[in-house]
Amino acid sequence: MTITFPHMGWLYIPVKALFDDLNVPIVVPPPINNKTLEIGTLLAPEMACLPMKINLGNYVQSIENGADTIVLTGSCGPCRFGYYGVVEQEILRDQGYDVDIIILDAPGRDPREFVNRISRITGRSPLFKGLKAFFQASKIIEEMDKLQQVFLRKRPRELAKGETDRIQTRFEKEVMKCKGSREILALIEKYRHKAETIQERPDTTPLRIGLVGEIYTLIEPYVNLNVEKKLGSLGVEVHRGITIRDWVKTHLSLDLKYKKERKEKLDKGAGYLNLCIGGHAWETIASAVHYADMGLDGVIQILPFGCMPEIVAESIIPTISKDLDIPAMTLTVDELTGEAGYQTRLEAFVDLLSRRKEIIYEQA
Amino acid sequence: MKIGIPRALLYSIYLPLWKTFLESLGHQIVMSSHTDKKILDNGVKFCVDDACLPIKIFHGHVMDLAHKTDAVLVPRLVSIHPEEYICPKFIGLPEMIKHSVPGSPSLLVMDYNARSGTEKAYHGMKTLGRELGASEKLIKRALSEARIRQAEHERRMEREKGLNPAHALDGKGMEGIIRLEQGTIGLIGHPYLVYDQFINMDICNKLAARGYGTVFPENIPMADIEAACKRYPKKMFWSYGKRLLGAGLTMMGDRQVDGLILLTSFGCGIDSFVDELLVIANRRKYKLPLTIITLDEHTGQAGFNTRLEAFIDMIEWRRRYDNYIPAHGLAVYTGKGTFR
Repeated sequence: MTITFPHMGWLYIPVKALFDDLNVPIVVPPPINNKTLEIGTLLAPEMACLPMKINLGNYVQSIENGADTIVLTGSCGPCRFGYYGVVEQEILRDQGYDVDIIILDAPGRDPREFVNRISRITGRSPLFKGLKAFFQASKIIEEMDKLQQVFLRKRPRELAKGETDRIQTRFEKEVMKCKGSREILALIEKYRHKAETIQERPDTTPLRIGLVGEIYTLIEPYVNLNVEKKLGSLGVEVHRGITIRDWVKTHLSLDLKYKKERKEKLDKGAGYLNLCIGGHAWETIASAVHYADMGLDGVIQILPFGCMPEIVAESIIPTISKDLDIPAMTLTVDELTGEAGYQTRLEAFVDLLSRRKEIIYEQA
Repeated sequence: MKIGIPRALLYSIYLPLWKTFLESLGHQIVMSSHTDKKILDNGVKFCVDDACLPIKIFHGHVMDLAHKTDAVLVPRLVSIHPEEYICPKFIGLPEMIKHSVPGSPSLLVMDYNARSGTEKAYHGMKTLGRELGASEKLIKRALSEARIRQAEHERRMEREKGLNPAHALDGKGMEGIIRLEQGTIGLIGHPYLVYDQFINMDICNKLAARGYGTVFPENIPMADIEAACKRYPKKMFWSYGKRLLGAGLTMMGDRQVDGLILLTSFGCGIDSFVDELLVIANRRKYKLPLTIITLDEHTGQAGFNTRLEAFIDMIEWRRRYDNYIPAHGLAVYTGKGTFR
């Protein structure tokens, strides 16, 4: 059994570490490229959302590299993601790919089935080893999150343009050569040190923009056309609340303190939306309010075309923008999004924000 | 109080429940007009661009009622069946209306959430009753009266095949005829597409003119739907997704229909999956004539008619030339996929 899984930003780093530690052979899908999207667009239903198209592309490219079992997490609606597994399995079978899909749903209804599926993946590793591997993987998620925050903070302030990007690319290359969690942790530590020592320009106060929106689109740089790098190189400090760490903490951990903080944050948006409507729409609204409270200069919402929950959020955001006096922009991405138009819109938005900041400064 | 109910989304299914309840509480009910060009245009103008056609049309209906009534009822259907959901946009509908419709008309939001049990679903209605200042006793009586009416409506939809519930509510009664001389077409789509003659460009009458009757998902018994959906490893958690999928599979399996038309609105998230599963199942096993027609606000009748005619022609040619064996040895209609 050779396992593969869909890409989502740096998710492959802890997943690779986990399976390496368990001695389960895996195929990390090749980095998402245009071919991935092309395969996905061909196989997926036309109206399916972009993450599913990319997922299918990942699977096919991994199968070509020898994978025969796909692991993905599930949920029980109302967002479409919860039914990805079933539809993807049908589509792959229709194409003649003989693969198993193991869906890891939250163990609510049927805990035995959940354990069953986990043990199908982990094989015969003793329980102790399995737990240790999971513990190490969650540690990597924590560390990797910190590294990412350093990159985000450094990019708009770097003295030599492009240095942060260079270091990040080198990290992403080297991490694939590591085996096991210990090596990966050491590498993250090394690169965090490198990133911390990037020279900063003296006295810069960059614009600050909060990214909100659908989780996959925010986390996967191929899908959001590297929005963080683009904004960073325009001299903008990017804030993003939704990360892999955040997802894991919300869904898989028992960290009560974190859950309380999350609840408090969600309550901030209660005046606009006060219940879960699936996906991350609630977080989108609450984060937008949160960023306005923090005094950020603007908010950008990113969603894949047709994303059901985010459409609701999209209709609320203009009101928030008006009420709390924070500029907001919505970007919809799909397989036809062109990079140039996207770049232009980002530049225009950033220009607008910096001009606005100047005016406010002059008036004060 | 004069309360408006938009003639959009799931009104054709749930109107008896809502209307009887509010009327029993002593309020006057005003329905919005049937969907027309003006309602569509208003909806398209004020709703966010990314939303689907039925949601846009709902916006239009609310605007139609805004000046005629004291308040407009906006149902928040979170779930209509235990352990299931419906589309996320339904859950966020009151918020969408509140932030998009100009002039902020006063809204009555009525929650309906059966996720943790059918009895609990009526909590939202009771809360609304209290907000409207009714006594507990009156609310209880109104609710039980409303539930009786709703049950009657649901029984009727299941029993009278080919009945258009929207017509039934207008008092027009049994008008769709399931079997005409040429045959029957299964029309799979959400109630707000299938039963709204304006949105679906009067598809039922167009089919009837060619001699085909229609059968709807609401005509298939729930037990058959549940049984048909069992073949998938994970429960379909959208109630309407399940209904469309199960109804489609049942129609194909029983050979009740000569062909299937999947009506979907552009950008419908649920249909993107349900239709794919139906198309795959049909290709593998049932091999019935099937077509997907996507509806959006760009109302072009000609293209729609052409597709419908082509589909009917295909059914009839297939009947006529089914035994044709081409030179390379494969029957024309092996039903293999478009690409392999």
